[in-house]
Amino acid sequence: MHASQSVIRAERLTKTFGKVRALDGLDLDVAPGEVHGFLGPNGAGKTTTIRIVLGLMRASGGHVELFGGDPWRQAAMLHERLAYVAGDVALWPGLTGGQCLDVLGATHGGLDEARRATLIKRFDLDPSKRIRDYSKGNRQKVALIAALATDADLLVLDEPTSGLDPLMEQAFQEVVRERREEGCTVLLSSHILGEVEALADRVTIIRRGRTVTTGTLAELRRHTRTHVHAVTVDAPAGLADAPGVADYVSGRLDGHVDSRFTIDAEHLDDVVGMLHTARIHTLTVTPPSLDALFLRSYDGDIGPLDAAELGDPVDAHR
Amino acid sequence: MSVTGLRAMLGIQWRTHRRGTLIWMLALIAMLVGTAGSIAGLFPTPDKIHSYAQAATAGDALVVINGRVEGIDSLGGIIADEFGFLAAFLLPLLGISLVTLVTRSEEEAGRLEALLAGRVARHVPVLAGIVLASSAIFLTAIAFALGLIAVGVPATRSVLYAASLGTLAFVFAGLATLLAQVTLHSRGVYTWGLLILGVAYVLRGVGDVTKTWVTWLSPLGWAEKAAAFGDMRWWTLLIPLAVGGLLAALAVLVAGRRDLGSALVGGGASSPRATPWLRSPLGLATAIHRPAILAWLAGAVILAGTMGSLAQQFINAVLGNAAMAETFGLLGAQPVDGMVALTQLYIAIIATGYAVQAIGSLRGEETAGRLEMRLSGSLSRVRLLAAHGLVIAIGLVVIVVVASIVLAAGMAWSLGTAVDLGRILSAGAAYLPAELLVAGLALALFGLWPRAFPAIWAGLAGVTFIAFLGPGLKLPTWVLDLAPTTHVGNPPLGAVEGLPLVVLGAIAAVLGGAAAIGFRRRGLPQN
Repeated sequence: MHASQSVIRAERLTKTFGKVRALDGLDLDVAPGEVHGFLGPNGAGKTTTIRIVLGLMRASGGHVELFGGDPWRQAAMLHERLAYVAGDVALWPGLTGGQCLDVLGATHGGLDEARRATLIKRFDLDPSKRIRDYSKGNRQKVALIAALATDADLLVLDEPTSGLDPLMEQAFQEVVRERREEGCTVLLSSHILGEVEALADRVTIIRRGRTVTTGTLAELRRHTRTHVHAVTVDAPAGLADAPGVADYVSGRLDGHVDSRFTIDAEHLDDVVGMLHTARIHTLTVTPPSLDALFLRSYDGDIGPLDAAELGDPVDAHR
Repeated sequence: MSVTGLRAMLGIQWRTHRRGTLIWMLALIAMLVGTAGSIAGLFPTPDKIHSYAQAATAGDALVVINGRVEGIDSLGGIIADEFGFLAAFLLPLLGISLVTLVTRSEEEAGRLEALLAGRVARHVPVLAGIVLASSAIFLTAIAFALGLIAVGVPATRSVLYAASLGTLAFVFAGLATLLAQVTLHSRGVYTWGLLILGVAYVLRGVGDVTKTWVTWLSPLGWAEKAAAFGDMRWWTLLIPLAVGGLLAALAVLVAGRRDLGSALVGGGASSPRATPWLRSPLGLATAIHRPAILAWLAGAVILAGTMGSLAQQFINAVLGNAAMAETFGLLGAQPVDGMVALTQLYIAIIATGYAVQAIGSLRGEETAGRLEMRLSGSLSRVRLLAAHGLVIAIGLVVIVVVASIVLAAGMAWSLGTAVDLGRILSAGAAYLPAELLVAGLALALFGLWPRAFPAIWAGLAGVTFIAFLGPGLKLPTWVLDLAPTTHVGNPPLGAVEGLPLVVLGAIAAVLGGAAAIGFRRRGLPQN
C-alpha cells in the first residue's frame, strides 16, 4: 500500500432505510497515522457510516474504501487489520470480563499479552467478574481494552468513553496517544468535543448524513474568530474600522467604554495595541474552540460552512 | 403499606406488555377451546366416552403424562385428560412469564430504575406485576369456562375446571414474583421456576401412579384434586390461592426492603482467561448454545426415562384392553413398538423446540449487538453461521441419541429383557430430517427476514399441536400433512419410507442454503 493512501475513504455515501435517508452524500477521509475525530449530534449518521466502513451494512450509493479494498466484499480479510468498539457495547453476560477480552481479541487476531495485562491495570478492571454483574462503565472498559490491546493498524471507536468516569477518560486518552505514536490510525466518533479536541489531528463534522466540514484543528481554527471583550478608559480610536474587526458593538458603562468584537488571528496583535492606547481596564480574549465550530455547524438550517459563516460569533445567535 | 403509583405502574406494565400478554391468553384459549370442540365432535355418545375412559385409565404411562382424571367417564373428563399434559406446562409457564417480563426483566434492563425515581413506591412494581398477571389469568379462566360450556360441558363443572387451571397458573405467578426478588436475572427466574415445575410434575406423576398423598405435594396435584368432573372439591382451590398469595406477599415485602438491582443469590467470580477453545468460533458457539442444549436434553431424558420405566405397565394395559389398543392404533401391532413410537414423537417435538430456541439465541446475539462485535473481526459471516449451525445440529443429535438410549435403558429395566437399541435409535433418527426442516425454516427467517423470526414460534406451536393432538382429534389429512413429523411415518410402529425423509432433508438443506445467502447479503444488525 502506498504510504499516502487513505485508510478510510468514503465519497458521496448514501444509505436509506425504507423512507429514511440516514446518509445523504457523506464524505470521510482518514489518513494513515492520524487520530480522526468524527463529530456529529445523535442521529447524524456516525454509526451508520462506521457500519458501512466495516462492511456490516451496504451503502445505497457512493463509494467506500477500507485499506484500499471494498469492505462489503472483503470484510473478513480487511478486518484482520482493525479493531472496533461499538457504540452500544454488548458482551456475553455469562462470560467473565477476562474471557470476553480473549474472545474479542481472538476475533481480531489475538491480543498482545503484555499490553492486555497493563491495560487491565491502568483501567482498573476486575477480569474475573461476569459481564452481567458489571456496571455499564466496566463493560465499556472491557470493549476498549480488547480493542486497544490488539496490534491493529486501525482502531474504530464509536463513542468509546460514554459511561467512563473522568479518571478513566484520562487513561483512555493517554493510551490512544501512545497507540498513535506507534503508528496506529484511529477513527474516533464522538459528540464529546473536549475529547476530540484533546486527541484528534483532523476532524470531520457531519450533520443529517452529510459532511459539514473537515480539516485539521488548526485549519478549522483559522477560520474561526477570537472574541474580544474590552473595557477601556477612553474610546479606542479607529477600532471599528480596523482591518480584521467585525461585529463591533460599543457603549458606555460606569464611565468606561465597553467594546465587544471579533477578530481574526492575524490582526489580534494590532488591535490589542489600539486597546492599550485607550488604557485597558479589563480585557477578555476568548480563543476559538471546537465548541464554537460545533455549535455553529448545527445552528439552524445552514448548508456546508464557509469561512465567513464560521467567523460569526456564537453569542450573537444565543 | 402504601400503594403510591400503583395505577401508573399498572398502566405502564399493561401498555408495554399488552401484546405479548394477549397473544399468550389467546393462544391458550384457542388451544383449550379447540381441543374441547374436537373432542365433543369425536365422542358424541356415552358409549364412545366410556370406551375412551377405559383406554386412558388402563395403564400408568398415560396417568403419568396426563394425570389421573377423576370422572374421566364424561366429556369434560376426556377434555381434561387430553389437555392434561399441555395444561401442566403451559399454565404454569403463563404465570411465570407474565410476572418475569414485568418485574426482573425490567429491573435487569435498567428501566425500573427510571420508574422508581418517580412517584412509585419500591414494592409497587411487584404488586402491579402480580395484579396484572392475576387479571390476565382470571380472564383466561373465564374464557376457558365459557368455551367448555359452549361445547356442552355442565356449567358448574366447567367453572371449577377453569378455576383449577387458573389457580394453577396463579401459584406459579406467585412463585415467580418471589423468584424475581431472590435471583439477579430473569434467566434465573425461568430456570428455578421450570425446575420447580419439573419437580411438581414428577411428584404429581408418582402420587397418581402410587395413588398416595404424594399428589397433594404438587400444585399440579391441587388442580387435579379439584376433581371438576368427579366429586367437585371446591375447597381445594383455596390451597393454590393461599400459597400463591403468600408467595406474592412475601415478594412484595422483600421488594420493599431490598436495594434496587440486588438479589439474595448473587454472582460469584470466575476464570479471568478464556481457553483457546472458547476463543474459536465453534467454542464460543458451544458456550452460547450449551444452556439450551442441557435444558432440553434434561427434559427429553426425564420424559424418555419415565416412559421407559413404565413400559411393562403400558404393555399390560394394551394386551388386556382392546379399546386402548384401538385408541392408539396398536391393534395387532407390537405394544413395545407402540410405546417407542409414542415416546419418540414426544422426543422429536422436544428436539425441534430446542433447535428453534437455539436459532433464537443466534438471533438474540444480533439484537443484543454482539453479532456486530463478532463480525468486526476476521471471522466471515458464512463461517460464523456454519459454526452455529454445526453446534446446533450436534446438540440436536445428542438430544435425540441420548434420549433414545435412556428410553431403551428404562424399557430394558422395566421389561426385564433386552430391547432392540438399534430399532429405538433408528426410530429417533428417522425424525431428524423433520426436526432439521423446522430448524432450517428458523434459520432461513434469521438469514432473510430476521425481524419476522418470532413467527417460527407460532409455527412450532402449530407443529406441536398437530403432532400431539392431531391424530387423536382426527384432524383432516391436509392439516396433519402441514407438520413435518407427520411424514416420518410413526416409527417403529409404522413403516418408514426413504423418499419422504430424503425430501424433508433436501428441503432443510435448501432452507439452510437460503439462510446462508440471505445472511451474507443483508445489513447488520437489524433490530
